[in-house]
This record gives sequence, C-alpha cells and structure tokens, in this order.
Amino acid sequence: MTGAITSRALALLFWITAAVIYLPIGVMAVFSFSAARYQILPIPAYTTEWYGRVFTDGQYSAGFLNSVLLAGIVSLAATLIGFACAYSLVNARFPGKTAFTLLVLAPLAVPLLLVGIALRIWTTMLGLQPSLPLAGVGQVLYVLPLAVLNLRNRIAQLPKSHEEAAWALGASRLRAIMDVILPACRASLLATFILCFTFAFDEFVIAYFLTNFSITLPIKIWTTLVTGFDPTINALGTMVFAFSLMLGVTAQWLLMRKDR
Amino acid sequence: MTRPPVANLWQGILPALVLIAGFFLLPILYTLGLSLTAEGNSGLTLANYRTFASEATLTDALLRSLILALSVVTIATLLAWPLAWYLAFCVTERRRVLLLFVLVAPFWTSFTIRAFSWQMVLADSGIVGAGLRNLTGADVSLGFLYSLPASIFGLTLFGIMLITLMVYSSMVTIDRRLIEANAVLGGTGWTAFREVVLPLALPGWIIGAALTFIVAVGDYAVPTLLGGGLQPVLAQVMLSVLKGTYDLPMAATLASVLVIVILLCVAPLLLLVRGTRLQS
Repeated sequence: MTGAITSRALALLFWITAAVIYLPIGVMAVFSFSAARYQILPIPAYTTEWYGRVFTDGQYSAGFLNSVLLAGIVSLAATLIGFACAYSLVNARFPGKTAFTLLVLAPLAVPLLLVGIALRIWTTMLGLQPSLPLAGVGQVLYVLPLAVLNLRNRIAQLPKSHEEAAWALGASRLRAIMDVILPACRASLLATFILCFTFAFDEFVIAYFLTNFSITLPIKIWTTLVTGFDPTINALGTMVFAFSLMLGVTAQWLLMRKDR
Repeated sequence: MTRPPVANLWQGILPALVLIAGFFLLPILYTLGLSLTAEGNSGLTLANYRTFASEATLTDALLRSLILALSVVTIATLLAWPLAWYLAFCVTERRRVLLLFVLVAPFWTSFTIRAFSWQMVLADSGIVGAGLRNLTGADVSLGFLYSLPASIFGLTLFGIMLITLMVYSSMVTIDRRLIEANAVLGGTGWTAFREVVLPLALPGWIIGAALTFIVAVGDYAVPTLLGGGLQPVLAQVMLSVLKGTYDLPMAATLASVLVIVILLCVAPLLLLVRGTRLQS
C-alpha cells in the first residue's frame, strides 16, 4: 500500500535517525580506550587504563555498591507493592477505582524534578534528615507505575478458573494467590523487578534531592561532569550503557516469553 | 462460578495508596501551598509570584523552557509520523521487533550519560568540528555546544523515540481493511494517511507529545550539559535556588509555575483525546 520508493525513503530515514542516536555512544566507547586525557583525533594510543580506574577509584566503587543495593531494595519493594496493587485493581471493586488508577500512573506524567523538589520541601517540613533510605522511598514511588502496569496486564490475562478451582478446594484467598497466581506470574515478576532496577539504578534527581552526602553512581557521575572532566567517565559511561542494555534485553525477553 | 473466600480484596491497594499520598500527592499540594506564603505574612499572598513576574532572569528562563519544549515536540513530531508509518506498514512483523528494539534500547541508559556523550560529538574540539576543519581546511568553529539549539537537539532525540513509539502503537491497531477500502475507492497513499491513519493514530500522538513536552520542559540534565549555564531554563534556576539559597518558598513558586505551564499546555491536548474517543 506504500510505494517501493516511499518505503525505501522511509527505511533510509529510520537508519539515519538510528545512526544519530547511536553516534555519541559509539564515540564515547571509542574514546574510553584512548590513552589521551582529552579527546584528540587521531587517537594516539589505546589503553584500558580508564576501565581499571573505575574499579580502583574508591568513590566510583562505593557509588556503584550504593546504587546496586539501593536499586535492589527499591525494585523489590516496588514489585511487591505493585503486585498487591495490581491484583486488587484487576479483582476488586471499590469506589474511585478509575481515579485511583490514574493516581498510580500520575508520577509518570510529572517531571521528575518536580517530584524531587516537592519531596525535598515536604521532608524538610516534616523534619526528616536527607538520607539514602529516604531517597529509596522516593524512588519506589518513581518506579511503581511501571510495576503496576506490567503486573496488571499479566494478572488480567490469567484464566479466572485456576483461582476458582483453588477456592473450591478450600484454599483461602491469600493461599490461592500464593499457590496459583504468584507462580503463574513468575516471569513477569522477574521482568518487573529487572525493569524497575534499570530505572532505579540510573535515577538521579530524587537521589540528588533526598540525600546530602551519600554517593550513588549517578550522583558521582553528575558531580564529576559538572566539576571538570575525567576520562574515567568514558569508560564508566560505556560500562553503564552495556549494563543497562543487558538488563533491558533480559526484561523484554522475559516479558515476551511469558506469552507462550 | 465459585464464590471467593473473601468477597472483595481491595486492601491490596493500601501500600500503594499510602506511598502515593505521603510521597507524591501531599508533597506536591504542600509545595503548591508554600508558594502562596511569604515570611512576615501569616495569610496567603501572591508576593512570590509578583517577584517571579518582575525578575527578568526568571521570566526569561520560563520563556526558554517553553521555546525548548515546544521546539522539541514540533521537530520530533515531524520525524516521528513517517517513522511510525514505516514501522507499522512497511516492515515484516519479525523485523519490526528488531527495529523497535534498535530505537528504544539507547534510552534505557541514564539521561546524564547520553547528554554527556553528545558533548564529545558537538564540542568545537569534537568529531563534528574536527571533521569540518579537516574537510574545509579552514579554522571553523561550530559554536553549537552550550546553546539553546543544542538542548533542543538533545531532547528531540528522546522525543522522536517516545512519539514514534506512541504513534506506532496506535497505527498497528488500525484495521488494514480500512486502508484497502480507501485505496479501492480511489485513494492514494496520501489520502489513506489523511483520511484513515491520521485520525485513528491521533490519540497515540497526543499522549506521546504530552509526555515529551513534560520531560522537555522539566529536564535540566540536557540543558545543563548541552545548553550550558549562561542561558538557564526554568529547571536550572529551580535547582540553583534549592541547592544554592535554600529559599524554599521561591523554589516552591518556580515549581508551581512549572505545574501551571504543564497544565495549561497539556490539558487542551488531553481534552482532544477525549474528543477523538467520543467521535469514534
């Protein structure tokens, strides 16, 4: 229905767009192996020194550990809260259900900066000290919509008859959830956890506003970038990109697999 | 049909409700309220908003944010429609999965790192500048990095991805027979687009455009790293007020201005979605 020429032109447009999107990441990856401190072309010599720096510089490794730990706890909490919420959204009736669904998704439609600033002002008013756990609670809020959306879709797909069979055999509602619903959602739960982890791991704004001296990897990257250049960032950026890509691919693969 | 052991298990929403109320709804309402207070004044006052309106640096920042966000949505929209058409109608299903992945994958990584990687490309000493100097032999300087157009460029890439994805999701659900019917009735590719695809894919575009606008108007990583600090957007000013002077009512006012701008620009779009839904 589209002419061959138009189709070719559109394919060209697609690949040019893709090339532009990938160009800087490729450039960063290439320079991460350059021995020169600054971006000089042609590259004088190749080295893996910057990759070594990432692991020996205490601030990067501390930031990485903090980020992994925080993102792990945040994603676990978001997956559990998201599951409970998704189950009730699919199976229960309560007044204001539509409004509540919109409210759950609302954090997606508000700039993260606003959430960060409002949280900082609010917690200051409550007298709460900025800390990593506080930032964690804020991040759960940030990834919760993703968890609810993913899990709601999965739970809605499950045949109602399996759960009803468990009830008929005398299982309580909670027991039926544990024995029937949870196992059927295994892949989706894992995918949700990984997806939340990907976003929480890179989350910077809420962490920046709700901590004072703690360092997560995104905070360390940001402060390095705005205070002066360090070629280690090229190596780190390339690694973070590869890491996020790996997590994203795994999550998508799990989500697609469960459909079979 | 077996009766469930507990009739209506609505309590599952409680943890989410507590979290959203305590860490989203109340903080934002409190922030909006705080913008209406001032020191030495017990009642509600518009003093902060008057200060905002009278300071050229603040209104200029707001203007820049608006120009940035509207440019990003416009340019991204012009590129996203043909791209979505390509994905929805010109490729096989297997290939489509691959292409969607190619388009989305880079955006799983952090905004900060992506913005920074553009610095290396766009700087005068970067590969584009060096390439131009090698080609022309002249000492040309791009002067592109650290300007508003550089911010627009950086955020437009994100907008293209998001709007393409949303328009595409609407396009693939369109019944192909409608397009064939249009062709049978003598329609060309262009009339098929205008009379069938455009109206049916419009809701997808509206959501994509609204989300892109929200991200672009509130982002400050790209404006800081690519736009520079000399011509700040509203988000940059907000950050420096909050982390610099700790003037919480002023920070709350800037945040409220951002909320108002988003409501004014996005609400008409969302009403449009309802309008198209009602028609069909």
